[in-house]
Amino acid sequence: MRDPFASSLGCAPRALRVGVCGPVGTGKSSLIALLCRELAADLELAVVTNDIYTDEDARMLRAAGVLDPDRIRAVETGACPHTAIRDDITANLIAAEELEADYEDLDVVMIESGGDNLTATFSPALVDVQIFVLDIAGGGDVARKGGPGIERADLLIVNKTDLAPYVGVDRDQMVTDARAARSGRPVIALSRTDRASIDELTAWVRHQLVHHRDGVLVPQDPGPMAPHSHGDHVHVH
Amino acid sequence: MLLADARLPVAGHTQSGGLEPAVADGLRDVPGYVRTRLTTVTRVDAAAGVVALHHLRQALPLGAVEAAWAARTPSLAMRRTSRAQGKALLRLAVRLWPDAPAVAAVAALDSPSRPAVLASCAAVTGLGPRSLARLVGYDDVQTVASAALKLLPLDPADVACWVHDALPEVEAMAEGVAGLTSPDDIPAAGAPQLEAWAEAHARTTRRLFSA
Repeated sequence: MRDPFASSLGCAPRALRVGVCGPVGTGKSSLIALLCRELAADLELAVVTNDIYTDEDARMLRAAGVLDPDRIRAVETGACPHTAIRDDITANLIAAEELEADYEDLDVVMIESGGDNLTATFSPALVDVQIFVLDIAGGGDVARKGGPGIERADLLIVNKTDLAPYVGVDRDQMVTDARAARSGRPVIALSRTDRASIDELTAWVRHQLVHHRDGVLVPQDPGPMAPHSHGDHVHVH
Repeated sequence: MLLADARLPVAGHTQSGGLEPAVADGLRDVPGYVRTRLTTVTRVDAAAGVVALHHLRQALPLGAVEAAWAARTPSLAMRRTSRAQGKALLRLAVRLWPDAPAVAAVAALDSPSRPAVLASCAAVTGLGPRSLARLVGYDDVQTVASAALKLLPLDPADVACWVHDALPEVEAMAEGVAGLTSPDDIPAAGAPQLEAWAEAHARTTRRLFSA
């Protein structure tokens, strides 16, 4: 018989899958490299990258020397980065499963989306938790624009906060806007020169891993659309 | 449900049917490219699928069919691509038909080719050999056509015309291989230029499509 629950979800022994998405240039690869540097000492890690046109991200991570190059695998998306993480996740699932098969004791697989627009989020059938990355230099208004990733990803990173004075963006206002858009979901204002922000990020990832191992982590869908009203009721479709 | 449908979740969007490296090398005659594939690599795949379907229906082992397909697919990059696509399709077939003996037989192979996995789907759904061969041909034409729209400046209506105009050749190819039953009968229709492009593409660091 077909088991409707025989999906890739709910398999506690496998690694935690963390999705990292957000527009091009916001620092997704650097964030993953940072996490590798911070966590590799006591966690077994692997990375799947989804580049749009090159394997630049995978090469950058390999060159960073933060992981064994074989633990960093690139998936091509046929110019459809959105499809590869949302509608047809097959190539990414296979890459993640192959890494988990090749390295049995993996703790975390990070999946980096190809840089896409503000509407791109991961399918909860591919990742257990997802991080959406914005950067200060992209403009202080982006957090206010909202969208599924900004509003409902499990974690929103406002990245490169050390650049705020150089690009004329009010860091605190952008973080306040982001928090307002997220109804209490976490926001981290991250800078690689701000040790406390890095500790906050790694603590969040470790916390998710504990939840995953305890079997209480249920992947949440940021959804393709915002809840909206038709006058008499609010719903999502 | 259509097996030759871009909406089937089998990572079809990652494939260009070898068109990306061909275009990078200067190819512009996409209809000619499609015809070349239909008489060479796609014909080999269709024939391998038909013979695999016969073996599944007769409960014969598939090893010799896979070996014959591999011997007629000399490019390692092409074999890898087919096996990766086979894995993606098998993932779906196992979910759809977890109890089907034909799916189990193919799943028991080490890295089955896409034709073998397609044959198992055909066995489960009652698709005949000619329909299976037509499906392989049509899917290949559509894969190349869809990728062409991303790789070249084209009017999609023109591309739809190319697909339409290739259908008689798809049918002729299907008719030619539909009666095959023995691995030895699978045509050995090599295409060295396609193979060279596939190998070059596997080594490039700049690509939109997996293959």
